[in-house]
Amino acid sequence: MHVIETSAATASVLEVLARVDDPEYPGVSIVDLGLVESVDVDGGRVTVGLIPTFLGCPALAIIRADVERALVDAGWPDASAEFLHSPVWTPERITDAGRVALGEGFTVAVQLGERSPPCPRCGVAAVRTTALFGSMRCRSVARCDACGEPLEVIR
Amino acid sequence: MADFDEFVAGGGIVEPVDDVPHEYRDAVFRFIELHANSELMGGLTERDWIPRAPGLRRKMAVLAKTQDEIGHAHLLYMVAADMGVKSRSEMLEDLFAGRGRFHNVFHYQAVTWADQVAIAYLVDAGALISQQAVFKQCSYGPYRRILKRIIVEEGFHMRHGEEMLLIFAEGTDIQRTMFQAALDRWWWPTLHMFGPPSKPDDVLLRWRIKSETNDALRDKFVQKYATLLMGYGFVPPDPDLHRDAETGRWVTGEIDWEPLKATLANLGPDSARRIGGAAAHWNDTRWVREALETVAERPAA
Repeated sequence: MHVIETSAATASVLEVLARVDDPEYPGVSIVDLGLVESVDVDGGRVTVGLIPTFLGCPALAIIRADVERALVDAGWPDASAEFLHSPVWTPERITDAGRVALGEGFTVAVQLGERSPPCPRCGVAAVRTTALFGSMRCRSVARCDACGEPLEVIR
Repeated sequence: MADFDEFVAGGGIVEPVDDVPHEYRDAVFRFIELHANSELMGGLTERDWIPRAPGLRRKMAVLAKTQDEIGHAHLLYMVAADMGVKSRSEMLEDLFAGRGRFHNVFHYQAVTWADQVAIAYLVDAGALISQQAVFKQCSYGPYRRILKRIIVEEGFHMRHGEEMLLIFAEGTDIQRTMFQAALDRWWWPTLHMFGPPSKPDDVLLRWRIKSETNDALRDKFVQKYATLLMGYGFVPPDPDLHRDAETGRWVTGEIDWEPLKATLANLGPDSARRIGGAAAHWNDTRWVREALETVAERPAA
């Protein structure tokens, strides 16, 4: 998981960001998904560096607007968010809490490394990919060979 | 059967391993097959507009929407096939041979970009209203879990539609005329999409696949969208549409169900071209599936 150096000011910005949900997963924050790479506070000016799961993600403009609105509402009128070109996002950046929320809330598993992730339904690591792309570029379609559930996997 | 009814009425969630009455299996299967076919046909239609969408941002949105819909179809065919009524290839064969069913709105042609805007603004919103009502109660576990993700993504399509509608609403006279013409074409098909009035003994209601009657969902749509459209200065093509003096609620004119019946028989205005196009696409991409299967069968080096 990615750790950001915190001062009192960056900590309070991170607290706000922890309440900004990813538009694809209501209830799962952008912090839990590992999208937040940097927070810079310079006087009253806040700059948040975000990294996209996939460069062509159609939700980027919405995420940026959601972040800026949340910060303005929290008393940082001079806040801006930008998408960085590096580092590259990987599923390892998703927090444990994020992984649980994706599994329980959306039946979405998270692929770490080469091995099968545990099935969010039955917990058995027997998830087999059936198509490289699901309804989003960051997800593949899979089937759990233990319980039979059709799944999507973030990779 | 009485036990099963009680189980479902009490909020029970049915899983594929459970023993269910065959009437339940058939009814739920037909519903999911219709949904899967509609996502596939919708995705193929959407795809046609990728090169024609105005500007890179719109192209990205249409591209993402196409991917969403094909991805939804893929998952829904898996869930439907697991019910053991028809295999995935049987469902596709039926669809391409004109024996399958898919939503009425995909039996019409989108003539201009404004039609795509009307579809995104009205049809996607209507579909979302229906899907939310299914998700609220749905007794079939695998379908319910996939619907949760589908609904979030359909929400994006609706946002995209609202954004595009604003451009037309605040646009030039030509743009406003274009959207009004598209509204004239898509208003009634959208109202038809909710289905004919539900019968009191509708098994989909009894078994908690649907949570509200077709008429109730249609009314929900009309109340919201008649107000919004009129607010933008557009007029639904229904001379009898009016607000009830007492309740203040919108009341539509009488709905002609003949066009819906034609689409259900795959005899809508654009049915033959749509089905033929989908079948041709399936044949054209056969080599990709065969190549993938060959790779999958080859032992790892």
